[in-house]
Amino acid sequence: MQRQNEIDDGFGRSVKHRRVVVVFSAIAVLLVALATLNLCIGSLGVPFEEVWPILFGQGADSTNYQVIWNIRLPRLIAAALLGGALALSGFLLQTFFNNPIAGPFILGISSGAKLVVALTMIVIVGSSGVMTSGMMIVSAFVGSLIAMVFVLLVSRRINSMSMLIVAGVMIGYICSAATDFLITFASDANIVNLKNWSLGSFSGANWNDIGIMTVVVVAASIAVFFLSKPIGAFQLGEQYARSMGVNIRVFRIALILLSSLLAATVTAFAGPISFVGIAVPHIIKRALGTSKPLVVIPGAFFGGAIFCLFCDLIARSVFAPTEVSISAVTAIFGAPVVISILLKREKARR
Amino acid sequence: MDRPVYLETKDLVVGYDGVPLLSDVNIQLHAGEIMTLIGPNGAGKSTILKSIVGYLESIGGMVYISGKPVGELSAYDLSLELSVMLTERMRTELLTCADIVETGRYPYTGRLGILSDEDRTKVREAMDMVHVWDLRDRDFMQISDGQRQRIMLARAIAQEPHVIMLDEPTNYLDIHYQIELLNVLRRLVRTRDIAVIMSLHELPLARKVSDYVMCIKGDGVVAAGPPEEIFVPEVIDELYDLEPGVFDPVSGNIRLEET
Repeated sequence: MQRQNEIDDGFGRSVKHRRVVVVFSAIAVLLVALATLNLCIGSLGVPFEEVWPILFGQGADSTNYQVIWNIRLPRLIAAALLGGALALSGFLLQTFFNNPIAGPFILGISSGAKLVVALTMIVIVGSSGVMTSGMMIVSAFVGSLIAMVFVLLVSRRINSMSMLIVAGVMIGYICSAATDFLITFASDANIVNLKNWSLGSFSGANWNDIGIMTVVVVAASIAVFFLSKPIGAFQLGEQYARSMGVNIRVFRIALILLSSLLAATVTAFAGPISFVGIAVPHIIKRALGTSKPLVVIPGAFFGGAIFCLFCDLIARSVFAPTEVSISAVTAIFGAPVVISILLKREKARR
Repeated sequence: MDRPVYLETKDLVVGYDGVPLLSDVNIQLHAGEIMTLIGPNGAGKSTILKSIVGYLESIGGMVYISGKPVGELSAYDLSLELSVMLTERMRTELLTCADIVETGRYPYTGRLGILSDEDRTKVREAMDMVHVWDLRDRDFMQISDGQRQRIMLARAIAQEPHVIMLDEPTNYLDIHYQIELLNVLRRLVRTRDIAVIMSLHELPLARKVSDYVMCIKGDGVVAAGPPEEIFVPEVIDELYDLEPGVFDPVSGNIRLEET
């Protein structure tokens, strides 16, 4: 007994092995189940028993094959990858601002990305050029960094958590309003493209896009995972982190760049999507019973994937053939989580 | 005096935004010693401590830790030399007390921060030393302020530094835990050859625990020396602007105005 108390595990005392196994098993089961549902359900129902053979390349000339390989599979991969990216971006911002309801959408970072992407789109498509997905990511990254700089400037001057969020929401409104102006004055050809995208949707990703987003999201997520240790130190506050040997300047810059890049990638391919970045890390921390980054980071990534697969399934199937914007669905499921966080904090303060 | 000097400052000038607040701070702290900074509120005790660890940029002079200029040490090197316990209140989420103490092992763990058996033994020793092993699985947010202070001390010990810096460590503690904390510090400097520098408000405690006392007031150090030289009416009355006879620094007795 004594020995058991002493030798626990190296991940941190609050990380309970059995609980971690249970949570990650549940994540794996949900991921497979939702992926399968996303492949089967749609205006053309694909029978469950046909899905696996099609995925392994059988029946290449059937309609079902075309639907799965050209429409549903790329969409599913986009939803999963971008969902994971959103959740990680949210987790990083929450760490950075020490604020549980920080996230890329609520702080206006997604909207900043949206504005610059819209601007680039109009300029480039207007001069009859073609917008590549690489250019989309770069312009979204620039936009998210500009919005991030504004948030940082505001956060220097105010200490209150809630005022930071209000400032972020305002920055988001300004960027969205500016985007709306642009759309209004854009030529007809651009409008169709822009409007769909600025509402938010995982549709329209082709295999080329998938390749690029996989490289960016996976690389950034691995980088985030390797920041687990300094993030854990930073959870005790900046001064303690520094006393443990964290190079605070480098660490802060890494957090800003990674969270902006992840949010920007999502915005570039799917438009702004709300609440995933706040709700998913919170749910994962509760489920794991710890906020140790070493387990929360992979948990949040796969949790975000599940959340977005689920929301996308609802977005395209509940009112079929009409599609609801993905952000509307994530808000319905995500906003109550935010409210519950606020209530819990209020209770803790007593 | 053949014990090594762990912390030394030479003509240190500290202040905010380039404006000097205190100058000519000369500290020499050996292994196994406790140095205490005392003085009125706002005199700049915390400013000195923050400048020593580099949270504040010092305006002039030098700080040496184990003989090396602090400016030349990397954050990592400094973390092996010095650990801190601060007064600011922390807000954590879903972290146990043991998690907090385990962060003290940060400089010694690998890239992912996974603890080895040796790390866990050190954590256990540090928690036993401060008598908080029973709290190991409690949520850090759901214990008392005094318990939190002791957890943070265990964290500082687990980092195994040469110097521990504590900013007002007795805040939030009742007299029982104040005494216990100071006992732990004494045991620490004697058994592990650590040096401790801290700021304290409670004069009787400072007199008992310190090997060396530094009085901060106005624009610098007004007096410094072993406690028996500092805790005499002339020095203390001057330091805190007291009428003669109102406070007896040796017994701790105070005399109130007749009403």
